[in-house]
Amino acid sequence: MPLSEFTFGLGILDAIATSPGYRVVTNNFVYFLGGAWYTIFITALSIAMGMVLGLFAGLAKLSKNKIIYGLSTAYIDFFRGTPLFVQIFLLYFGVLPLIYDNDPLSSAIIALGLNSGAYIAEILRAGIQAIDKGQMEAARSLGMNERQAMIYVILPQAFKVVIPPLINEFIALLKDSSLVSAITVAELMHRGDLVFANTYQATWVFGTIAMMYLVITKTIALLGDYTERRLATE
Amino acid sequence: MRNFVKLMLASLLVFVLAFALIGCGGQTDNSEQPDVATDVKKLLVGTNATFPPFEMQEDSELTGFDMDLIRAIGEVQGYEVEIQHMDFKALVPSVQNGKIDAAIAGMSITPERLESVDFTEAYFDAGLIVAVHKDNQDIQGTDDLKGKKLAAQNGTIGAAYCDEVKKADAATETRIFDDIGLAFMELEKGGVDAVVNDHPVTAYYLKTATDTSIKMVGDIFSAEDQYGIAVKKGNTELLNALNEGLIKIKENGTYDEIYSKWF
Amino acid sequence: MIKVVDVHKSFGKLHVLKGINFNVSPREVVCVIGPSGSGKSTLLRCINQLEQVNEGRIYIDGEELTHPKTDINAIRQQVGMVFQLFNLFPHKTTLQNITMAPIKIKGVDKEQAYEQARELLRKVGLMDKADVYPGNLSGGQKQRVAIARALAMQPKVMLFDEPTSALDPEMVGEVLAVMKDLATEGMTMVVVTHEMGFAREVGDRVVFMDEGLIVEEGLPAQIFDNPKNVRTQLFLSKVL
Repeated sequence: MPLSEFTFGLGILDAIATSPGYRVVTNNFVYFLGGAWYTIFITALSIAMGMVLGLFAGLAKLSKNKIIYGLSTAYIDFFRGTPLFVQIFLLYFGVLPLIYDNDPLSSAIIALGLNSGAYIAEILRAGIQAIDKGQMEAARSLGMNERQAMIYVILPQAFKVVIPPLINEFIALLKDSSLVSAITVAELMHRGDLVFANTYQATWVFGTIAMMYLVITKTIALLGDYTERRLATE
Repeated sequence: MRNFVKLMLASLLVFVLAFALIGCGGQTDNSEQPDVATDVKKLLVGTNATFPPFEMQEDSELTGFDMDLIRAIGEVQGYEVEIQHMDFKALVPSVQNGKIDAAIAGMSITPERLESVDFTEAYFDAGLIVAVHKDNQDIQGTDDLKGKKLAAQNGTIGAAYCDEVKKADAATETRIFDDIGLAFMELEKGGVDAVVNDHPVTAYYLKTATDTSIKMVGDIFSAEDQYGIAVKKGNTELLNALNEGLIKIKENGTYDEIYSKWF
Repeated sequence: MIKVVDVHKSFGKLHVLKGINFNVSPREVVCVIGPSGSGKSTLLRCINQLEQVNEGRIYIDGEELTHPKTDINAIRQQVGMVFQLFNLFPHKTTLQNITMAPIKIKGVDKEQAYEQARELLRKVGLMDKADVYPGNLSGGQKQRVAIARALAMQPKVMLFDEPTSALDPEMVGEVLAVMKDLATEGMTMVVVTHEMGFAREVGDRVVFMDEGLIVEEGLPAQIFDNPKNVRTQLFLSKVL
């Protein structure tokens, strides 16, 4: 009895190994891994850009200057209020060609960076506003100007508050980066698309891709937890 | 302020009602009515309406050569044809798993596809053509494509051809879009050197696009490129019915009518 | 040292200060008392420009704070402020809390700033808490660090905004003791407080405020033992 169960198990493995979908995945696994790396690369650069933009836009949103406030509000509203997919096409085929001879990769990073910048701005603004008013008053009462108080007192505290929502934004951005597949950036989703179009192995191809995305997002989440814990003990 | 709130509520109500009506409409469409039309069989056909003049959307209506053709076949064979738009690359899997009965989408009959689905007799001889920017003097035909930036639509034989070129010369860059319109836009804006695509579609694009800076170069190639209607493997009943319909409309002149309407 | 001339302050429709005239001489300790909502804290916050006055002028050491061209940051460096809720920087250790402003604003050398900070910690009796984060300090300890932090900028004037109101009773004494030492050293101080004992013992002068006006002022003994105004009498009868 145990023996037949064992051979039955082998039979399943055998059936999997000889199925056409399995072969499609193994043949393209390295190709997919390359796409996953590309996805991480694009997301990382977009986040870097988004953090800088978000910091400026978030601070601008707290500004008393009406023009600065208006500009940052317009930027944030536009990129949060319209679909990223639309933004990608608008930038790639519409706006960016007017500025430079744009290629898919840089356009994708700009689109994702602008989009995440708007979300990060709101996260940072909320984080700054969550810091007790007394902190700003204490810093000002010591003679710091507004900028010094921001840099030395408010922002370091705000960054701790915003880590969980920032991690969520990074994960969302990583998943959303699949949308740049539409402008032929050879990231994970695009590679899956290309293989699928020639093999029609939906479950195998997209199942593999989904697992790769999952591994990456889970890793980011764990890194976030770790950072949060380290900062909490400080 | 009061008025504003009222206005908001009113428009919300209109919105909800409109949705409810659309919802109901959709439901009655989908619900089966065996009493009324027992002899009229339903034929759910998938297409990718981004491939003019074969299939496209005009005034929220699916139209084009393929659309007219399948409706004509449906008429002579007693089918009530319902057409659904989807991603081109999703068509074959959808036929395979029975989500749609057939797919007509300027789809070339290829050995790879024949492994997954069955095709009717060819209804159109297409062939590929290279399109380049008007100012481009380097590329005169297929021989000049090596090492260039090429664009095509995902899942088409144009894309497969680009892959072949890339295999022959690794310096070639292939840029595969989800629909052919984007590939043309990329060529217009100078992002690629050439688009490899089915000749009738490229020709139609050049005829209808305003202010285009694209031209076709070289001869039509891959003459074996023929379009067929895909059905689920082993569904001989439908396959025969469609083939029969195809013959009928060729004999009664409908095919020629449709052909001259679009080309 | 401090001169307040006919200062008015409103928050929206709420008229909080209704024409305050008020002077503080060098080395003087002035205690401001009065019921809550009388405008004591607002007056203090106006002196440090945390609130902007609607009308009137405020001078510190002859410089007009309320003048739009005055560099308020430079003046604030000379005016130390201690808050009811301490407002220590929670992401910094005690020592870093004290040294941040001297290092970042005045450009004091790091070693020198640390040495000075340790000296201040010794003064407030918290030598052993140099590397502790505020989260691990008691309320009284926090307020003593806050005083040290303000002193690190070597201010000419110290403003105290109800410094013991948020403390547990057993911790009030340690903070008042530090303030008393400071007064003895000759620091110019304005203290908004509910500690009548402290006002009587340490204050050179007591100011009673009610409903946005200074109702009565004078020597502590005079105010506490022989108040002239009915409102002062009423208030003191409630708190004493």
